[in-house]
Amino acid sequence: MPRDHAADILDPIAKEVVNNVGVWVDKEVVPVASEFEHADEFPEPLVNGMAEMGLFAIKIPEQYGGLDLSFECYAGVCIELARGWMSLAGVLNTHVLVAWAINAYGTEEQKENYLRRMVEPEIRAALSITEPDAGSDAQAIKTQARRDGDDYLISGQKMWVTNGQRAGVYLVLTKTEMDTTPPHKGISAFLVDAGTEGFTVGRKLEKLGYKGVETTELSFENARVPALNILGGSEGSGFQHVMSALEVGRINVASRGVGVAQAAFEDSIHYAQQRTAFGKPIAQHQAQQLRLAEMATKIRAARLLTFDAARKKDAGQRTDLDAGMAKLYATEVAQEVVLEAMRIHGGVGYSNELPLERYYRDAPVMVIAEGTSDIQKLVIARNLLREYQI
Amino acid sequence: MNIVVCVKQVPDPETPASQFAVDEAAKRVIPAQGIAPVVNPYDPQATEAALRLRDAAGEGTITVISLGPDSARDAIKHALAMGADEGILLSDPSFEGIDNFQTAAILAETIKKVGIPDLILMGRAAADWDMGVVPIGVAQLLDIPCVTVAKAVEVGDGNITVERVLDDGFETVETTLPAVVSVSNEFGEPRYPQLRQIMLAAKKNVEVWDKESLGLDPASVGSDNRLLALEALYVPKVESNVEVIQGDSPEEKARNLALKLREAKLI
Repeated sequence: MPRDHAADILDPIAKEVVNNVGVWVDKEVVPVASEFEHADEFPEPLVNGMAEMGLFAIKIPEQYGGLDLSFECYAGVCIELARGWMSLAGVLNTHVLVAWAINAYGTEEQKENYLRRMVEPEIRAALSITEPDAGSDAQAIKTQARRDGDDYLISGQKMWVTNGQRAGVYLVLTKTEMDTTPPHKGISAFLVDAGTEGFTVGRKLEKLGYKGVETTELSFENARVPALNILGGSEGSGFQHVMSALEVGRINVASRGVGVAQAAFEDSIHYAQQRTAFGKPIAQHQAQQLRLAEMATKIRAARLLTFDAARKKDAGQRTDLDAGMAKLYATEVAQEVVLEAMRIHGGVGYSNELPLERYYRDAPVMVIAEGTSDIQKLVIARNLLREYQI
Repeated sequence: MNIVVCVKQVPDPETPASQFAVDEAAKRVIPAQGIAPVVNPYDPQATEAALRLRDAAGEGTITVISLGPDSARDAIKHALAMGADEGILLSDPSFEGIDNFQTAAILAETIKKVGIPDLILMGRAAADWDMGVVPIGVAQLLDIPCVTVAKAVEVGDGNITVERVLDDGFETVETTLPAVVSVSNEFGEPRYPQLRQIMLAAKKNVEVWDKESLGLDPASVGSDNRLLALEALYVPKVESNVEVIQGDSPEEKARNLALKLREAKLI
């Protein structure tokens, strides 16, 4: 059944881009995604295809050779990628997020040095915040950067670094001052090049889902990084820069939720018309119809919330509330929808011959990464209390 | 090397059969609701062939022409996004309901007006009516050679070598340029448009030419001037009878199947 990949997208160029990406996903990703995923193999040909289309340049400004497309377009692209395989949108996420942070907060030298190389991309980017003892409480990080002449020496351990093995540059959150009040005033983000002495990429973490894309540990032992590589050039703004960049990540993860839910729904509505029980296709049983209707309504709401957040970001508005709502709702919907899809499919949905078990394993990471659902609720509540302050 | 590529927008061939309907009285297909038309699946292969030949030659212009309603602009934009240079949409209310003869005549007039290029490429057929006669008609009207159903093309000095797909194999033919070549799916996968090309294509102006700007004789176009009469249009009823071949062993089942097939004079 032909589908409008670009439904609800308003900008004509974004529509065209998303439609083309949707066609690519149908032809190139859907047939091979489970094979790569079951082998937990990095999908080199698919990532190369994404690069050839120009997806890694999607949010890099034209003056640095990028495409400077809208967040609306980016959200649509991520939905389509995730509809085929959620991990592909993950490969893109840290790259786009770091590129956005460099463009928004970096020095002109940093933009020239990194953004141009991130277009093709000659180098891909990773983001490193989480540590063994600091997840949602990002201000509790212990990785330290000590000044040493014109350089800093970084020491500490990082975890859950998406694209950790293949990145050329890492945006790493560190403490340049340990005892500031509030703690975030002592936090700085560094652009650390792969191959920096004292910096090693550790083991690849085994996961329930989100396979193919590597998630690693990073280790810093007096890794020498030039002071010029502090994002923005001066200490103390790293926390704000990275939190702001995470809004871009939340649009990405919200889109992934929509994409995975859409895939699970489409598989379900097709299957429900083929599978018969008690003398008729199960789609003719009201119980399944109610289920399908709820799934589709929630997915549509999630989709519209996601595009709304993206369009507000395009308009230059503050989007922590909107991106938080989109991320919270879309990822929780994905989790619900894949379970409902499993109920519709019954036993066959549990087998690894259908992609549904992959969606089922991929959904939980989205409610955790880029700020858990609980963190999103806190962000939303704080914004609302500010807005409705009496 | 200057090339004209003709593309067509068609109802999506992936439309489920359950949503395909015809108005038998009006003798027309009722468009499936909510399913957007698409570029004819063979046409991107023609565009791909044009791109490869232009890029191998190192110079030249690819002009994309489509005859259809305003929405056919999307078929042109797709070819531009793949890397073609210019687009012309042939659109006029009187073009609705015309036959293949008129389509070929309008395309030929357009190509004359653009200037006869080195090569004219089209898909092997349009996926809606699947007739594959327009390339031959255009070549006839321009009085140039036509080679159909190409799987490979190689341009020489003033000539072209084409490997054609036959029912039972392939054949290689050579002819002079300019020529019309229709390209088959065996040519290979067309490239995916790059985002940058999509953005450039969106900014490109697609000229719209109507009956007047083409200088067509009003008596030669329109559904009233069809040379091809459509007698009836209907969805054939498919009836299937299933018979399970019996037998105690696979060998006996195979023997019984063979006997049935011989009885039906199928083998």
